[in-house]
Amino acid sequence: MILSIRDIRHDYGRFLLTAAGLGLLLTVVLAMTGIYNGIIKDATALPDALGADLWIVQRDTRGPFAELSRVPRGLEERARAVPGVAKVRSYVSHTIQRELPNGKPLRFTAVGLSWPDDLGEGLPLVEGRPLAQPHFEFLVDRSLGLPLGARIRLGRDEYTVVGITDGLLASGGDPAAFFTMADAQKIQNDVSNEALRLDREARAARVQASAVGRDPEMVRFSGKSSQLIPALGPAPVSAVMLNLAPGARLDMVRARLETWKDITVYSQAEEHDLILGGVVEKTRRQIGLFRALLVVISAILMGLIIYTMTVDKIHSIALLKLLGAPIKVILGMILEEALLLGGIAYLLALIIGNYAFEMFPRRVVVENEHRLALLGIVAAISFAASVFGMKKALAADPNEVLAG
Amino acid sequence: MNSKTPAVSATSLSRHYGEGNTLVLALKEASFEIFPGEVVALLGPSGSGKSTLLTILGLINPPNTGTLRIGGEDVIRDGAAVRDANLIRRRRLGFVFQRSNLIPFLTAEENVRLVLELDGVSRREATRRSREIMATLGVADRGDHMPTQLSGGQQQRVAIARALVHNPSLLLADEPTASLDKELGRRVMELLREAASERGAAVLIVTHDHRALDLVHRVFEIEDGILSTDVPAAT
Repeated sequence: MILSIRDIRHDYGRFLLTAAGLGLLLTVVLAMTGIYNGIIKDATALPDALGADLWIVQRDTRGPFAELSRVPRGLEERARAVPGVAKVRSYVSHTIQRELPNGKPLRFTAVGLSWPDDLGEGLPLVEGRPLAQPHFEFLVDRSLGLPLGARIRLGRDEYTVVGITDGLLASGGDPAAFFTMADAQKIQNDVSNEALRLDREARAARVQASAVGRDPEMVRFSGKSSQLIPALGPAPVSAVMLNLAPGARLDMVRARLETWKDITVYSQAEEHDLILGGVVEKTRRQIGLFRALLVVISAILMGLIIYTMTVDKIHSIALLKLLGAPIKVILGMILEEALLLGGIAYLLALIIGNYAFEMFPRRVVVENEHRLALLGIVAAISFAASVFGMKKALAADPNEVLAG
Repeated sequence: MNSKTPAVSATSLSRHYGEGNTLVLALKEASFEIFPGEVVALLGPSGSGKSTLLTILGLINPPNTGTLRIGGEDVIRDGAAVRDANLIRRRRLGFVFQRSNLIPFLTAEENVRLVLELDGVSRREATRRSREIMATLGVADRGDHMPTQLSGGQQQRVAIARALVHNPSLLLADEPTASLDKELGRRVMELLREAASERGAAVLIVTHDHRALDLVHRVFEIEDGILSTDVPAAT
């Protein structure tokens, strides 16, 4: 006869309600684990998808993900000339927040692809196609909710969704959208006509006030569009990505690049470390502490529940002792109830999590290893919690039954 | 064990509490024998030592001195337990209390079966034997009921079934009729006597109720820890 089952059966409503409460608490523990994993996956998804061997960023910065970085557009051509380099792409990204016509906010990170070398073929496209023209097309992550063919106005132009990616988010958790480099920079640097006019006039005034202002032609040129002034050059980019040729040695290419005094070079692994160590570290510690706190709360609650359940049947336990029940039967009953409570709560947490995590605004990544780890934690909590009840049961005195 | 062998035999059982000036002698040199099938009433006022004797016989508290044999086996020798008290309680003793003290989360049949299953009897055999004794006591049709679904008399019958199902050598009954009305109390005493006689168990009933003394074979009386075993049954 399994006494624990009989005891639970006697008041299964209360037991199940308790298990449900504990299950919700474990769901939060699991969610915290999943959110943490999601943050890491999100943070590294973009650099992983871009798949560069080396990243060239502004000197002494931790860019382009952990810190702002600006390098001249011409750096791309310099890097292309380094022996062992097979592919060079520029990287820019900036966050955009707009409102859709229906009032819903549209927030994403715009990433520039080096047209025509990079059309986004390497990205995990689940619908549509890569970019096929140099302007007015973009690829977007599924999590943004824009369908294929959707058109949105950004700055002065309208852009069409031609491809949908899956699981590509920036380190801040915003979905990534991929434009050609020119479009991304155009969107980034888009200003109103009035602002342009004021900028040109201010520039012309500065030139006129300087020594070169004695040349009327120079003053006339300085008041025109910046694209028409060769001295100003194109807008800078955040970083330059390199891919090595087959057989090329990464350390040699890197050593060569590091002789340049205006840049810093990172490998893909170092970019990972910079993202996780900087952007994610505080979040990781915060979530880790919160998770530990929840585990402790769960353990205390479960200990109290098991203790209360034992106190509720202390007379029956004293009676069992009087009837000669081996102590292992009594302790086994308490341990089984603790494990059953933990087990049911754990299963509920898995089931609830399976449905609820999809509705979370940020990605929640729960793998089998995390489920197993939680199972281990629940088993440990159940054992620890049953100790409170067992101590109470050991102290139960059969004399109490005889005393009535 | 033949009928000449006592079911329980106590020799010079003594128990004291406290020390020095606070020393209280709760039981003094109690010696007696009870034979299989014999029903003995233990009478005495409150604080006379009844509970002390009951807890010693129930192997809950050991005596300070004396020897106790149950079912022909020494279980306490010179005040020290010589056998596993749990095992002896499980196999050789049965208990009936003032309140039925059924385990509330078990059905009536499970309460009876439990004693056998705790001792390793198979579920099938335990069920058969439980149903048999429950039928003898007239509660066979209440097997699936929880204790709270039974009347006081039915609960006490189930408790008697639980106390006797494993054929104990000694059944200890503590005020088994105190919470029942006169008629029901007498019926329970009759059942106790019949069932014990049928199964060859010695019965020691602690009681204040003199109305059912005609149903017992002998009467023990205890006062200030001194046990008298030669009290006439018609007291």
